[in-house]
Amino acid sequence: MAGGNGHEEHTKWVMVIDLDRCNGCGACVTACAMENNVAFVGEDENAYGRGMHWLRLQRYWEGEGDDLRVRYIPTMCQQCSNAPCEPVCPVYATLHSEAEEINLQVYNRCIGTRYCANNCPYIARTFNWFDYEWPEPLNFQLNPDVTVRRRGIMEKCTFCIQRIRRAEEDAKAEGREVYDGEVQPACAQACPTEAIVFGNWRDPNSRVRQLAASERAFKLEEALGTEPKVIYLAGGRHEF
Amino acid sequence: MSSEFHPRNEEEARRVEEMKREHLLLDHRPRAEMNDMVMEAVEDTSREWKFAVIVLGLLTAVTLFGAWGYMMLKGLGLAGIRRPVFWGLFIVAFVFWIGISHAGTFVSAILRVFKAEFRRPFTRAAELMTTFGLAAAGLYPLIHLGRTWRFYWMMPYPNQRWLWPNWRSPLLWDFFAINTYLIGSTLYLYMPLIPDLAMARDRSTGWRKKVYGLLALGWRGTEQEWKHLQKGIQIFAWAIMPVMFSVHTIVSWDFAVSMKLGWHSTIFGPYFIIGALLSGIAAVSVVLFTVRATTKNMRYFIRPEHFDALGKLLLIISLSWAYFFFNEFILEWYGGEHTIKEILKFYMFGDIAPVWWTMVTCNFFIPGLLLWNRKFRRTPWLMFLLGIVVNIGMFAERYVIVTGALSRNRFPFDWGWYEPRLVEVSIVFGTFMLFFFLYTLAARFLPLIPVWEVEEGQHSHTWRRIGRAILPAVSDLESLD
Amino acid sequence: MSQEKKLTRRDVLKLAGVGGAVAAVLSGCGPMSRYVRRKPYTDMPEYQLPGESVYFATLCRECPAGCGLLVRTVEGRAIKVEGNPQHPVNRGRTCARAQASLQGLYDPDRLAGPWAAQKRGSRAGRSLSWDEAVQVVAQALQAGPGVQFLLGLVPDHLADLVSEIATALGAPEPIRFGGLALFEARQTLRQAMQAVIGQDALPHFDIANATFVLSFGANFMETWLSPVAFSRAYGHLRRGRPDLRGLFVQLEPRMSMTAASADKWAAVKPGTEGRVALAIGRLAAEMRDGVVPPAFDVDAETIAAEAGLDMALLEKIAHYFATSPRPLAIPGGAALAHTNGLETAQAILALNAWAGNFGLPGGVQVLPAAPIYEDRNAASLQDMADLVRRMKAGQVKALLVHGTNPVFELPAGLGFAEALEKVDTVISFSPFYDETAAQADYIFPDHTPLESWGYQKARVGTDRMVVTASQPVVVPLYDTKATADVLLAAAQAVGGEVAEAVPYQDEVDFLQQALANLMDSPDGIYTAVTPKAFWGRFLQHGGWWTKEPAAVQTFDAAAILQQPLEVPAPQFDAGEFHLVVYPHPILGDGAGANRPWLQETPEPMTTVMWNSWVEVNPETARELGLRHDDIVEIRSPYGRVYAAVYVYPGIRPDTVALAFGQGHEALGRWAEGRGVNPAKLLGPHTNAAGDLAWGRVRVSLRKTGRRRPLARKEHLVGVYGDGVAQ
Repeated sequence: MAGGNGHEEHTKWVMVIDLDRCNGCGACVTACAMENNVAFVGEDENAYGRGMHWLRLQRYWEGEGDDLRVRYIPTMCQQCSNAPCEPVCPVYATLHSEAEEINLQVYNRCIGTRYCANNCPYIARTFNWFDYEWPEPLNFQLNPDVTVRRRGIMEKCTFCIQRIRRAEEDAKAEGREVYDGEVQPACAQACPTEAIVFGNWRDPNSRVRQLAASERAFKLEEALGTEPKVIYLAGGRHEF
Repeated sequence: MSSEFHPRNEEEARRVEEMKREHLLLDHRPRAEMNDMVMEAVEDTSREWKFAVIVLGLLTAVTLFGAWGYMMLKGLGLAGIRRPVFWGLFIVAFVFWIGISHAGTFVSAILRVFKAEFRRPFTRAAELMTTFGLAAAGLYPLIHLGRTWRFYWMMPYPNQRWLWPNWRSPLLWDFFAINTYLIGSTLYLYMPLIPDLAMARDRSTGWRKKVYGLLALGWRGTEQEWKHLQKGIQIFAWAIMPVMFSVHTIVSWDFAVSMKLGWHSTIFGPYFIIGALLSGIAAVSVVLFTVRATTKNMRYFIRPEHFDALGKLLLIISLSWAYFFFNEFILEWYGGEHTIKEILKFYMFGDIAPVWWTMVTCNFFIPGLLLWNRKFRRTPWLMFLLGIVVNIGMFAERYVIVTGALSRNRFPFDWGWYEPRLVEVSIVFGTFMLFFFLYTLAARFLPLIPVWEVEEGQHSHTWRRIGRAILPAVSDLESLD
Repeated sequence: MSQEKKLTRRDVLKLAGVGGAVAAVLSGCGPMSRYVRRKPYTDMPEYQLPGESVYFATLCRECPAGCGLLVRTVEGRAIKVEGNPQHPVNRGRTCARAQASLQGLYDPDRLAGPWAAQKRGSRAGRSLSWDEAVQVVAQALQAGPGVQFLLGLVPDHLADLVSEIATALGAPEPIRFGGLALFEARQTLRQAMQAVIGQDALPHFDIANATFVLSFGANFMETWLSPVAFSRAYGHLRRGRPDLRGLFVQLEPRMSMTAASADKWAAVKPGTEGRVALAIGRLAAEMRDGVVPPAFDVDAETIAAEAGLDMALLEKIAHYFATSPRPLAIPGGAALAHTNGLETAQAILALNAWAGNFGLPGGVQVLPAAPIYEDRNAASLQDMADLVRRMKAGQVKALLVHGTNPVFELPAGLGFAEALEKVDTVISFSPFYDETAAQADYIFPDHTPLESWGYQKARVGTDRMVVTASQPVVVPLYDTKATADVLLAAAQAVGGEVAEAVPYQDEVDFLQQALANLMDSPDGIYTAVTPKAFWGRFLQHGGWWTKEPAAVQTFDAAAILQQPLEVPAPQFDAGEFHLVVYPHPILGDGAGANRPWLQETPEPMTTVMWNSWVEVNPETARELGLRHDDIVEIRSPYGRVYAAVYVYPGIRPDTVALAFGQGHEALGRWAEGRGVNPAKLLGPHTNAAGDLAWGRVRVSLRKTGRRRPLARKEHLVGVYGDGVAQ
């Protein structure tokens, strides 16, 4: 565990999203943006397909007429263990963190080839097409723990690594281990239906571990072998 | 030599004349005369030429470097790319120019190795295309970066932060493949140029003499020098071929090694090479026509027989392209993967369909139907038009592969579509201007015709009478040493 | 700011016993200084360390639900809003609006100080000093009975204070109204509760513990009453209990975001919900014991045909309602927004009466009365219509508006804007230049909620008494002033009885006095021996609430079943299509439209950002030759608007829908001139309880031939197939 003597196993952060709980309300989308200084780009750029959302709610219709149904899939960077984005970056701006086992995006190393975004099967990455503005005093809310990205670089969900680091440092300072539920990414923290749960896979008693044991558990595009670290629990549906 | 050949009657004389008109290598002229012809062409810096150079230079400065600078200042968003189509016209043009650059090597290395004699007058014209095409192509990996000013991070250089580029990235392979090819092909352009530079040095005055003298490296034409030169060219001709094949294969790997459906294809390596040859050879016919039309004395050196030969090459390459295309397309289709089918459907019927059908028409139907006709092949202006058509088709092919495949992915919610915007169109236009600008400059500074190669060819071509027939005969000079 | 009391941090910590506190909540600053300061690094307050976060527990005032927040601040700047994990309403959870509330605080277009308009509607004017402002308010208060306070829906301390002032002035009761009141039908719910259980109270629906939820148009996970609490409950309904997945059916003409999560959405014909409830009651009664109470004495097949529903479906729903252990029927705003709304609400509550779930877990509950100050009902549209009438008659001399934006929100058919012209003095206390502020003579901007003191009583969404604390998390950015302080100062300036009636030193003094009787309540999660200590804990915990849920209060509701329930046919205006107007799930009642990240958050059902759209059924669209993004004119008897078409599969072919919240003419750069305001289409009609019957309005569509691509997150071809738009 992190915060230990460093010889033990690293943490492996995992997110579980219960689609049966998810009601598509979008609080996670806003919370993510607020925590991570994600820029807003306005109507025209969004209409052009350049929204910066790190987390998007895919909404799919199923059936039609009387049998119409909706499925929401909150989709963000899946933090693949075997990530297609990593080998293609020529400058190691996206790479695997050994300590947290997540995919890092090193903003100040990125030169903007956008290859990682093309190679991401989950379309999880967004690009800073311009320098986006935070007119004063809106910039007061910028999170000092998260870099404000400039034009020409890639960004994506980081599993709120600043919160992971903060919790690990707190635990280390207090001479204990990070307890289950101590780290909550902004989306999980906001989620009104408690659909998103975050935790350490290496902790056998963690909630994520228990939830992922469900027979409803699946991963997006599992067959690709990317080994995502976001586990979905399939939404149930009672037939009427 | 033909001068030793005496026609026995008028009919034979007519036949000989006919063959001389047809074949450059039978139409012997003294070396001195050819030297003068080439030097006259080189020194013909007319007003029209100057005007063209200035216009092209200005256009390059504004549409390429001006637009590029503006884009760097404002952000890559000025281009039309958007999620999920993160690559657009820049990468399309990059692959296109890499393709163009294959022409020179193919003509001067492969045709040399296989002793295709028709190559002799235009190896240099084609080699120049390689160098300038690569110059244009080489800009794109820089242009398309979000932060161009950090491009050197792709280079392995010692630094205090102990950062090293990622050797697993195809972009890095690209970086080295292109540089290797650029250096290799420039050297390969330069070596056969040395005797001609020496010739130019001996026939010019003023600054030209100085420059040519410097570049000619003191060439005097001794037997030893010739021997070394021939050996060097021979080695390079073999060595540059794998580089040529690898460079476009590696460019194809940018796509093929990815996880993107529509890109991840095992056939992309040869498919890209054949596509490159198709566009490259087609571009040679465009350049030859232009050179023939705008430069003095070129009608002697470049004749319908050359267009005819290029036409035959084009035909077989076009058919090969069709073969690869068919393989790529139909097998993907039969695989039945849902997303792949969506991609192929998008190609044929979606927003990108006009481009896709342009590709099929220009790359296969038009050349495949017209090039069987000898008369067509031997008409330079038709071959010029066909060259343009095929290049439009090949540009369309890259456009479809790069932007079309990116438009469709495994999540229909996140599909997309791409429309180029003015800035990127301007930059792509600008690289064409750059290419023309460099070529126009080179056309008046370097001997476009490798005189010594032509002379060598003419020496090796003789006449033989077998029974009643008069036939050209070729002695193999190149294999003598 | 005003008064700094000398009290060290150490004392406060001792008093509050923070020593081993669980959460990193630092409210200690509260008692010792009224405001957190932003200071240079060399002179930092001791609790402000560079790089260290300080959390303040406070209240979310983005909607009337009253969720508790923890706001993370770093070096005097508010950085992130998080839910207060201990707060009984939201238990640490937040909606998108709470998340973006920082963008209200830091809105660049906020008003920087008191201001007098040159003339109403003009953006020209001059700045005043706060002394002048207080004089203006004092002058306005002189009108006595001619003074009318208009407040937002939030049941907060200001409402309580203003009530006292109004009483002292001899002025009418303050009116509490907001955009959400158009859609929530609070008055209808209260009156229906009165009819069913004999108690005039807002019902709370215990979705979490139900096993079968049958909702009639309740958008309870979007904006209705207490959306975060209901969303939390929904999560529990589905997967909170091992081996028991609660079922959920929603009946409404347009599939709302809430209905999108239902097991079954059935597109009931607008206005028939009440009769459908009776039919379900009858079928369920037949299935359970064959005893059909008089209330359910209806012909189910006729009703099914009338409502456009499958009889088999009704039977299935009735089957679950009859056999599920804890069924719950919810009468939602959309079902009650017809001329027969009150009767519909009674019919739906009768289902609960039949199930006998009143006061039980998983049933309809009623919260105990508020622990401080009595409850005051939010106004209905009828009350607003009365106000408009009084304004037109010249009986209202001074209108003081706080926390609501009637010029934007009220239906065009009501004529509020015209009535406003008859009022001598209009004072707005809005921190933003909204539509009502634009029509005011004076704007005396209040602090934004995150800079403010206060409390709010939760009336729904929880099982216990809750008073949430509001405290400033940052120093006020501009020269704004708490409205409570302005009114108190003005009352002092008026003098006499009025000054005596509100003998408070300032806002905080009022709060402390108001809370005094909670101090030693044994039911509270904490007690304190001194008011200061109590105040410290109040701020530290983010409020006061009871340790235990309120005692189960059961009701005998069977009486309602013993008489026939008549649900009259709804009345409709002339027009081709029914109109569904619903509050935007992200922007709420429109007050969120000036938060760029709320605009940027895709609306969940359509994924549209930054604009308005009109939802049209695919079949209807085909008939009218409409495609996605075509601009149409939507015309009702009361007005017309233009909006881009969204071909929406989840709506009846005879119905079109518009979201409420866009179409601002003021409210800053991100809200203005964006989308349309459906209030322009609505008439003044109400149901029997006085709530707006927006369902009465019918509209016609006309193709304009223009197009405007909506900013969507989805890809049209990917989601809807080829040939939809391009």
